[in-house]
Amino acid sequence: MYYFLQLTLSGLAQGAIYGLIALSMTVVYRATTVVNFGHGDFVMAGAFTVYVLVIYLGLPYVPAAVLAVVIMFFLGMGISRGFIDPIKTGPHIGFAMMSISLGYVLRGGARTLWGREVFPMPRVYDIDPIFIGELVVTGDVLFISAIVAVLLTIFFLIFYRTAIGIVIQAVYQSERGATLVGINVQAFHQSMWGVGLAMGAIGGILIAPISLLYPDLGATFLIRGFAAMTLGGFGSLGGAIVGGLLLGVAEQNFGFYINTALIDITAYLVIVAVLVIRPTGLFGKAVTVRV
Amino acid sequence: MKHRTKKYLSAMAALGVLSMIGAASADETTGLTDTTIKVGVMGPFTGNASSYSKTQIGLMAYFKHINDQGGINGRKFDIVQEDTACAPAKGIAAAKKLIYQDEVFYLHGNSCSGVAMAVKPTVAPTGIPWIIAHAVNPKISMPVNEKRSIFHGVPAGPAYGSTMGKFVMSKPGVKRVAMVTHTNDWAKAYCDPAIEVIKAAGGEIIEELALERGQTDATAQVLKLKQAKPDFILACLYEAETVIFLRDAKKYGVRIPVMGTAGTDLENTLERLGDPDAVKDYYVLHAFVDKVDGPKMKKWNDIILKYYPNETITGFSAVSMASGVAAVKALEAAGRDLTRSKFIAALENIRGLETGILACDITWTPTDRHGCKKSAVAGFVDGKPAILSAWGKAW
Repeated sequence: MYYFLQLTLSGLAQGAIYGLIALSMTVVYRATTVVNFGHGDFVMAGAFTVYVLVIYLGLPYVPAAVLAVVIMFFLGMGISRGFIDPIKTGPHIGFAMMSISLGYVLRGGARTLWGREVFPMPRVYDIDPIFIGELVVTGDVLFISAIVAVLLTIFFLIFYRTAIGIVIQAVYQSERGATLVGINVQAFHQSMWGVGLAMGAIGGILIAPISLLYPDLGATFLIRGFAAMTLGGFGSLGGAIVGGLLLGVAEQNFGFYINTALIDITAYLVIVAVLVIRPTGLFGKAVTVRV
Repeated sequence: MKHRTKKYLSAMAALGVLSMIGAASADETTGLTDTTIKVGVMGPFTGNASSYSKTQIGLMAYFKHINDQGGINGRKFDIVQEDTACAPAKGIAAAKKLIYQDEVFYLHGNSCSGVAMAVKPTVAPTGIPWIIAHAVNPKISMPVNEKRSIFHGVPAGPAYGSTMGKFVMSKPGVKRVAMVTHTNDWAKAYCDPAIEVIKAAGGEIIEELALERGQTDATAQVLKLKQAKPDFILACLYEAETVIFLRDAKKYGVRIPVMGTAGTDLENTLERLGDPDAVKDYYVLHAFVDKVDGPKMKKWNDIILKYYPNETITGFSAVSMASGVAAVKALEAAGRDLTRSKFIAALENIRGLETGILACDITWTPTDRHGCKKSAVAGFVDGKPAILSAWGKAW
């Protein structure tokens, strides 16, 4: 029982990051129907932005992290405005190509600047682990879980309890209807790209002190973000979080109880299994087309 | 008309044969001018194994140093650097570019065994001399390839692996050994020979755990080790994953000695972990005759810093310089009328070359291309880095 609980705790902390990344991808997907295949690299970019602000510019960590999130928000808006809006009339595959390309441009830029190093990311927290019997609740688990929980609470409160949230839901449901009632849908898309990248950046900032920082960091998280989205149900905000948590716990337990080689492929197994057994995921809705 | 056609075809055939002879002759001196030797240096200058490219930086610094000393037999190195990103596909592209576009005289460098193995089918048939200066898979250079063109200038897997196995078994009372490893050729090159030595010495492997590249958590592996309670752990992992493993081992109270590969180094691991307590049970292969910043290494570190002043010296920095010394010796021996065949013959004649860098001397023969046969081990003793030949025994 000890091992199961310990693995589950660790899996929840990892899963919270996956969930946050999946949620940030879902926000963009729900708002624009664009699947951001470059999202892993935006996660990396957020972490590197903090690194630059802290190490090169000497800012304290917390203001640097806040500033990095703001920078990534505006980068997201800029990408939407400069690269996504102009190709809206083209084939949908163009969005995928564009997002992949933008991600690789960021990755290439990071490789050019920091290519030969794997960096230790400064830590904002130094929390002693808590021991409950043999069970260890580490500072990483506490910090990541707390931050993600607070962020999600704020996010879902805004989404379901404020006027802004109602506007967002209105556009999600019908862009044409939202336009008719005077909502600027283009500006909304840009904002959602900003929110998506800002949330992805938070994921990167939280994970980099644990995973170390290097330009290819995002690739690991992209596939896990997709797996969490698939498991939770494409387009489901809550599903993205639940999917991420379940994926994190599954990775740890599969690795321990079956084979450690499974950890690396759990995300792929989840995608295959969900698409075969329940393509809508846990909380997704089947799309029906009336003809 | 028929007769004319026959004559024309004969002439074309003769021209073809002549051009082939010309090509063969040109192949021997491709990449050479009266004043330069063009050398292709491949390495992972980007990607998450990019810290290994410090070895190529060291090598290139040595070549620049030789150039500033006047070169070799009137020629200076013309270095062409190519990135493999430690990815086989990029490595193959890099090798093709160096061979067919840049037309280098020989290849030198190459971290990442997976890349070297992927590149080998492209390089080996060309007969271009290729000195492996960092990768460890023994199959890169042995058995000797048909063109006799590939040489290993660092300890290959068997040498490194057996050092790991011997060190593990030199700790009194060790019987049960666990291993945590990447599932790639590079890791097998270290772990397989180590396992052979451990089993031959009466030890047993009680757990074989995978920790793949890019994983950011080792909780499952560490808890399995906690459950299995081995006497020693073999960790055939790249640098980033080693840090993650050691961090999680400390986190969950697993205080078992860990033996790492030459893919990591002690100081770098400590710097990345930022926690001396997490590395105090970590032992790692150490290729050099001295500590990284020891007096015997100063000369070599100074050369690197002269040409790359912003470079941070780590346990990787000087590794490839030793094979650089061997290459220079062979080029000198091959003389002014240099050809690839003469260079290969000169490399084959290097015997017992003490480079003053590696803990082994370099010997290449027509039948053995693993030039370097032993390594030291580095670990923290009383909180200070020390070079060891066996458990508790200084080098």
